This record gives sequence, structure tokens and C-alpha cells, in this order.
Amino acid sequence: MAASDTDALPSLQNQERSILLALKSISKTYFTGDVSVPVLHNVDLDIFAREFLVIVGPSGSGKSTLLNIVGGIDVPTAGDVFFHQQNISEFNEQQLTRYRRENIGFVFQFYNLVPTLTARENVIVAADISDDPMSPDDALELVGLADRANHFPSQLSGGEQQRVAIARALVKNPELLLCDEPTGALDLSTGRKILEVLGNLNRELGKTVVIITHNSAIGKMAQRVIRIGSGTIAETRINPQPVPANQVTW
Amino acid sequence: MNVLHRKLMRELFAAKGVLIAIISIIAVGIGCFIAMSSTYDNLEYSRQSYYRLCQMADFSVELKKVPTGDLAALTDVPGVTSILPRIVFEVTASLEGVEKPLSGQAVSLPAHENPPINRIVIKQGSYFTDQRQEEVILNDAFARAHNLLPGDHIQLILNNRLQDLLIVGTAISSEFVYLLGPGGLVPEPESYGVFYLKHDYAEDVFGFEGAANQVLGHLAPEFQSPDRVRLILDQLELNLDEYGVFSTTPLAQQSSHWFLKSEIDGLKVSATILPTIFLIVAALALNLLMSRMAEQQRTIVGTLKALGYSNQEIFLHFIQFGLLIGIAGGLLGIFIGYSLAGAMTAQYRNFFEFPSLVNQMYPRVILLGMLISIFFAVLGTYRGVRSVVRLSPAEAMRPKPPLRARRILLEKIPAFWNALDFRWQLVLRDIFRNRTRTLGGLLSATVGAMLLLVTFSMYDSAFALLNFQYDKLLLSDIDISFKDDHDYAALLESQQLAGVDEAEPLFHIGCTLKNGIHEKKVGITGITENAQLTIPRDTAGNRVAIPETGILVTRKLADILQIQAGDSLEMIPVAGDRIARQVPVMKIIDSYLGLTVYADFDYLNRLMGESQTLTSVQLKTSPRPEVTRQIYRQVKQIPAIQSVTSIRDQKDKLQEVLVDQMIVMIVVVIVFSCLIFFGSILNASLISLSERQQEIATLRVLGYTPAEVGSIFLRESFCVNLPGILLGLPAGYWASKGINIAYDTELFRMPFTIDAMSWVYTVLLGIIFTLISHWPVQKAIRNMDWLTALNVKE
Repeated sequence: MAASDTDALPSLQNQERSILLALKSISKTYFTGDVSVPVLHNVDLDIFAREFLVIVGPSGSGKSTLLNIVGGIDVPTAGDVFFHQQNISEFNEQQLTRYRRENIGFVFQFYNLVPTLTARENVIVAADISDDPMSPDDALELVGLADRANHFPSQLSGGEQQRVAIARALVKNPELLLCDEPTGALDLSTGRKILEVLGNLNRELGKTVVIITHNSAIGKMAQRVIRIGSGTIAETRINPQPVPANQVTW
Repeated sequence: MNVLHRKLMRELFAAKGVLIAIISIIAVGIGCFIAMSSTYDNLEYSRQSYYRLCQMADFSVELKKVPTGDLAALTDVPGVTSILPRIVFEVTASLEGVEKPLSGQAVSLPAHENPPINRIVIKQGSYFTDQRQEEVILNDAFARAHNLLPGDHIQLILNNRLQDLLIVGTAISSEFVYLLGPGGLVPEPESYGVFYLKHDYAEDVFGFEGAANQVLGHLAPEFQSPDRVRLILDQLELNLDEYGVFSTTPLAQQSSHWFLKSEIDGLKVSATILPTIFLIVAALALNLLMSRMAEQQRTIVGTLKALGYSNQEIFLHFIQFGLLIGIAGGLLGIFIGYSLAGAMTAQYRNFFEFPSLVNQMYPRVILLGMLISIFFAVLGTYRGVRSVVRLSPAEAMRPKPPLRARRILLEKIPAFWNALDFRWQLVLRDIFRNRTRTLGGLLSATVGAMLLLVTFSMYDSAFALLNFQYDKLLLSDIDISFKDDHDYAALLESQQLAGVDEAEPLFHIGCTLKNGIHEKKVGITGITENAQLTIPRDTAGNRVAIPETGILVTRKLADILQIQAGDSLEMIPVAGDRIARQVPVMKIIDSYLGLTVYADFDYLNRLMGESQTLTSVQLKTSPRPEVTRQIYRQVKQIPAIQSVTSIRDQKDKLQEVLVDQMIVMIVVVIVFSCLIFFGSILNASLISLSERQQEIATLRVLGYTPAEVGSIFLRESFCVNLPGILLGLPAGYWASKGINIAYDTELFRMPFTIDAMSWVYTVLLGIIFTLISHWPVQKAIRNMDWLTALNVKE
């Protein structure tokens, strides 16, 4: 997919809004020994289908925990998470695995590629467990890495590695792409390219994209921006005019 | 191949150094298991089929003389299904061109057909013919040793008459798988044989018309338990009492069977213990490796889980490491084991005479070996990865929390801690913080050192036995035993043989010693007060003087009869008047072969109502070969001789066999032990190296040379391995003691001794192995890409 520099996302106001995932009164506290650390407190949040959502907040604000709970790789201490009206906070380990496998694509700040597998093989790792995967080559094509498919992570730049990670998230055809600081380890120009790819996936393939970042500048390209602080949602803002990724700067 | 398999293969390849070390340890363990189990099966199956083929007797009764017509009633004894009377005598033989007097057992067989019990298997020639009475079938080993073939002749002195016999065949039999001459420990087919004669000829020549002096029998299967066998033999002894029963021997105590069975049973024990040691060490090493590998892949585990991989799928992925290592170790072990079993079986062919003893591959053993290998490898892997795999995906993706930097115990002693240079501090902290790794290393070194010490101790014990038996107890060169009791004239005659420096009489009687309900059939040997050729000793090797009255009893027999010095025993001779006499036990002595009892020559004569009667003579001769040959020539002319034993040859033969076997065993154990050290150190050091890359990189940036960095690792190896080696010394001591106790039987015992040099060699070898194992670690430090390591994100 060729990323178009001028393609901004439509405003959420102009879209039909159906709820994909709903968080109801979510709290999360970590316990280490005798110490308890509250991270999220009574968070209510709806994520809409085909939405491009950016959650911003400083380090330690609880945004990663929120993303992990949404992605089913962590469980809330209290509250419910509904995905298509199904309460996943009541899921057992096996059901959660199934949920992640079928519905969620993760993109991490440090890519988390398997160093001993090539780009293509890293994508296949995800395709292998999916019921209805897209072709790994198509996924790499979508992120513009078809010609680097046989390279090992150590032979790729940071941006290329992150694109492999996106292809890996994408190949399973998930409804929801969850990106944890996807540009955090990248320079501005590479970061923009990653954002372009994510924007295109949202616009052209209709994927719901949730990005968490401490970089509020990324919020400019989102349809909706949620600011999180001290474990609660401090602000929810609908972006009337999302800007194209190439105009995002920090 | 799915991509995770590809990941697996590439990671295995990347860790090849450590994996080879671990696979080698597993392969050695499995190799030992396969070798010993296959050899066990080779021997045990050969034994079983051979016993079936020959219809091996379940018992024998040795007696003075019994009319065969009176034996039929024996089958009325419940449990006895069939019997066979035989005539068996110790005889001497001579062959043209052989100077050494030869001896052996003359055994009667039915003239026309193989007997129903203790059949023989013809190897060359045929069974007896109808053409003449004077036919003999030789045991095959004796015939081979002297290149005798059917059609050749041999002269036997039968009942004091020299008989020329035609060899019609050579044969083997299950009752002589391990054939020992008087006093021997290893077969000497060149000097001791079995001579099968036609029964009617034996009756004729020994004056045994219609009579026999041995009864063999079979028992019904439900009467084979030791207790029932004992009861039946007691009953038979009672029934045959009037014919002078010398002994009743159940199969379990038949000499050949006993040696064969102890060897086979020993293999079974070794097949369990030795491989277990290796496999535990391998599992520990694999546990360390895999926990490190899983820890390094913490983020990947988290990511795979986030992608939707289940715990089981990830677990199975890691377990495949163990599986592949187990399969590789198993396959290599099977190859090593099968080859080793071939060599061991070939070695046994030198001692045990079987119709066929070949090395076979047993699917059950191979499968079991493979399963054991996989089990230990998977166990090590499972324990290594389970904590990481159990983490929730979110937790797995967070970096591992830093180690709680607690002070180690030694740091609480500031005077000591501050006196150390920082390298020692690094070493000690690493050792105390990685307790599992330290304990694994310690255990491996302990096991390695223990194996070495146990082997050296077995060597020391074997030679202590040899020295005790032939340099302290039996100092004669040639022992001559007579067919019947003789008087002093025989001694004088022997003394006058040219080349004899010294001759001493022995008076040997068979008897039952009884202490209440405890009794045992043994022999008492009467020696003269100042005997120089048989010297009873205590454990310390000090001479024990022969008391004027009473007997000296060997410790093992004292235990069986539950007596101590000062007690009195009832002594019933098996021959002669068979009237019970009271004999005081004067002292308990030590001996390693049989259940020896000594008494004063004159006292024993008086006790038996004899005077100056002797049954054998011990000779001290000049060691010159021509003198020995001369004595042999003279001795052969004496018809009353039952056997001539060259004690010197016996010692040489035993020494040769022991040295041969021991050297091979020592080399194998040294290699195995080295592998344990190598595998354990390489594994621990390389893991430590990968964990401490940044620390090493920092030291290199500061200007430390690879050798200086390496010295930190070497110190760590020594800090773990030296205590391990030292702990291996008491462990080895107690293991040797255990083995010594296990070998403590009525027929045979080993002195327990560990030479000073064995301790030294164990420690030295342990240190050398530690140094050798450090070499690849040093190489890895030299080749380390420390610049990249500096930039690694944790």
C-alpha cells in the first residue's frame, strides 16, 4: 500500500459509531510483596470500530496497563471489559489466548521480533496460529517491506523492524491493532513512516488502531485523543480535523 | 518445517558449544546404561538358554560312595523330580611336551547318550563311541589351550594308575562356564581341565562298580525358592547320611554359577547407578542452560503470548529443545553403548565359556535408553523454563526485575571482605548469588571426583587382595595335594625333590561347624606351629600365631556362625568316624577367599585321632624356570598326587587379568569424569559469560586483558570445583565402602583400602580437568564482541 502524504483520516464526527470494546469501571492494582501500587482507577472507555484512537500520557500514568488490559495480556483487578458485548474480564487463560489470537494485533515499542527468524518468518509466526490469516508476503507488501523479507532483524533498521512488527500484527487480520509507543524508539522521519502505515491500515483496511504514547504530537493525526494521568482519564477530545501523518512533528 | 522449529534449530546451533557438552554427558550416561544393560542381557540370555540346553542341575550332593541302586528313593523327596549319579574325581593329567603337571576333574557320563542333567555340548569330534572304553571328551578350553584335537591322546592318572585315553571330542557344559582350579580366582584352562569319561569305565577304573560319589538333581519349579531348596537338601543329606555326605550344593552356590551370576547381577546394579549419576548431572546442566535461554527470551515469550500463543504451545516449543537434546544424546549414547557392549561381551568371552556369547541389540534396552535420555533432558528443560513460561504476557514483556542486591554473608565480615581485591569480591558475589548454578557445579565436581576415587580404590583393593593372598598369606610356589591321607614320609619325599628349598605339610579336613542352630560345612587346614608358607594374618597384616589348641576362624564365618573368640564350636568331620568334637575358637582372623579355618597341624591330627597325617604339601622353590621344570618332571612320577598348583602361575594370571581389566576401566572412568567436569564447567561458565557480558565489556574498556578477565572466571570455577572435588573424597570413600560391603560374600571378599596416592591423583585430576575445561571459556572471552555488548539494552 503506497502511503499518501495528504491522506488525513476522516473526523470521527462524520463516521457511524459502533462500540467495538467497552471498559467499565476498570481498576488495576499491582501487588509486590506487602506493597500495593494502584495503576488504574475506575476507568470507563469505549473504543469504536474502525476508530483511530491515541491515548497519551506521561510515563507511569497507566496507559500501558490500560492497553494490556484491552489486549487481554493483563487482567483488571476490578471492572469489566466488553468486546462485542462479551465480557473478556471473565475469560479464563485459554479464552484470553483465543481472544488475542483472533482479534488483537500488538505492536511494541522495541518491536519484540524473534532475532533468529527472518522478517518473513517473524510474520509467519503470527500467521501460523491464525484461522484466517492474510498471506505473510501481502502483509509485508502492505508495510512496504516485500524486498526485505529474507533479512534477519539484526540486518534491518529500527523503522524496518517496526514495520515487520506491524506486518506481524496485521497478518492475523485482527479487528484491533494495539500499538505501544510504536515510534518511541525511532527518529522523526522513520516514526512518521510508521504512523503513515498505521493510518493507511485504519483507513483502507478498516482496522481499529489504538496507539498509546507519551508523545502528544501524535494525537494530531487521531480521530480521538484520550489523555490519561494518574490512572484516570483526564480528558477525551474528538479531533475535528485529523492531520496526515507526514504533518505530525515532534 | 514450521517457523518456530526454524527458530529452535537456529538457537540450538547458536548454543552448540554448551549443547555438545551436555549431549556428551547424556551420551555417556546412556552409553553406560546401554552397554551394561545389553551386556547384562547378552550374558543372562546366554546363561538361561545354555542352562536350558544342558538341563543344568538344581543341586548336587557330594558324598564318599553311594550304591546307585539306593538312589531311586530320592525322587520320593517332595520337590525332587529327577536325579543323576556321577563319579567325579580330581585327577592329574600329562601331555607330551607339557612339563607342568596338569590337573582337572574326571566326570563320568553315560556311555551312549548325553545325560538328562548337566548335558554336554560337543564342540569338536563326537560323543563316546562303542569302539573302546578308554575314551575321553575334553572341555573345549583345555583342548584349545593345548591344541588338542579329536584323535589325539592324553594320559590321566586315574586311581593311581596312568591311563592312556583317546580324545574323541571336545565339549562345553553349563556347569563349567567359569571353571576354576583349586584356590584359583580366574580360569586357567592351560593347567586345569574337565575330563569326561564313560560311566562304566569310571566305575571300573575308580573301583565304583554300581556306585557314585556325586548326585545331581532337578527340582520342580515351585520348589526353587532358596528356603525350600535348603529344606530339600537337608532332607537329602539326612537320607544319604550313611554314605558320608561331604556337601550339598544348591545351584546358587555352585562355583561356576556363583561367579557368573555375581558378575551378571553386578552389571545390573552398575547399569542403574552409573547412568543415573551422569543423567542427573546432565539434567542439572540443561536446567541451567534452559533457564538462561528462557530468561533471555522472556520478551519473546511475552510477545508470542500477546500474539495469541497459548502457554502449552510455548511450553512445547521450549520442551522441544529438551526433546532434541535428549534424542541426540540418546542416539549417540546408543551408538557408544552398543560398541561398548560389544567390547565388554568380547572381554567376557575370555572368562566365560558359552556355546555362543554375542553382542545383540535389544529393542527394549534401546527404547528404554532413549526414553531415559529424553526424560532427563525434558526434565532439565522443564525445570529451566517453567517459571518464565508461567509469567503473564505483560509481566514477561517487562524487563526482569533487577536482582535484589543483598549483601552476601561474607560481606558481613568487613575485615575479611575488605581485604579481598575486587576480583575476588566479584567472584564470591557471583557464586553466592547464583546458588543453583553453584550447587550444580559443586555436585558435578563431587560426582566426578567420587567416580575417580571409587575406581582408584577398586584398583587398590584388587592389588591389596593380590598382595595379601600371595605375599602375606600364601608364600609357597607350588602346592601339591594328595589323593588320600599320607604320613610324614610324603613330606620328606617332597623335601628331597631337587630344587625344593622348603616344604611344609598341610592337613585338611572337611567338617561341619555348629554353634547351636547355626552351622556351616567348611574345611579346616592344619598348619605347623612355625609354618612359613601359610601365614594367617589379621586385618593389619600382622601374623597371627597358630594356637596349640583350638581354631582360628575367618571373620565372615564367625559372622555366619555368630561366634567370637573364646566361644566353643561343635565340629563334625564329613569323613571318618563323624563323631562331634568340641573345638574352642581362639581368635578371629581375616581372609579374602572362602571361609578359612586354621588349626595347629598336630592339634588337628590329635583331634581326628591321627598322628602326623597330611593331605598336601606346600613347596618353596627356586624361581628359576629350569628348576620349576625339573620339579614338575619329578612330581609327575608320583601317582598319589591329586593336583599340583603353581601358586606363582596363579598369582601371575590373576595379576595379568586384574591389570588388563583395571587399566581399561580406569581409562574409561577418567574420560567419563573429565566429561562431567568439562560439561558442567563449560555450561556454567558460558552461561555466566552471557549473563555478565556488560560487566566483561566494562572491564575490557577499562583496559583489562582477556587473560585478566578470564582469571576471574577461572577463580570462580576453582571456588566451586575445588570444594566439590574435596567433597568428592568422603563421598568416594563411602561409595567405595558400600561397594566393598556389596562384594562381601562367602566365596570372595575385597580388602577395603585406598592408597595415599589415590587421594592425591583424584584431587590432581580434578584440578587438571578444571583447567582443561577453562580453555574454551577463555577462548570465548577472547572472541567476545564486547563493543556490542556495551550497547545492549537490558
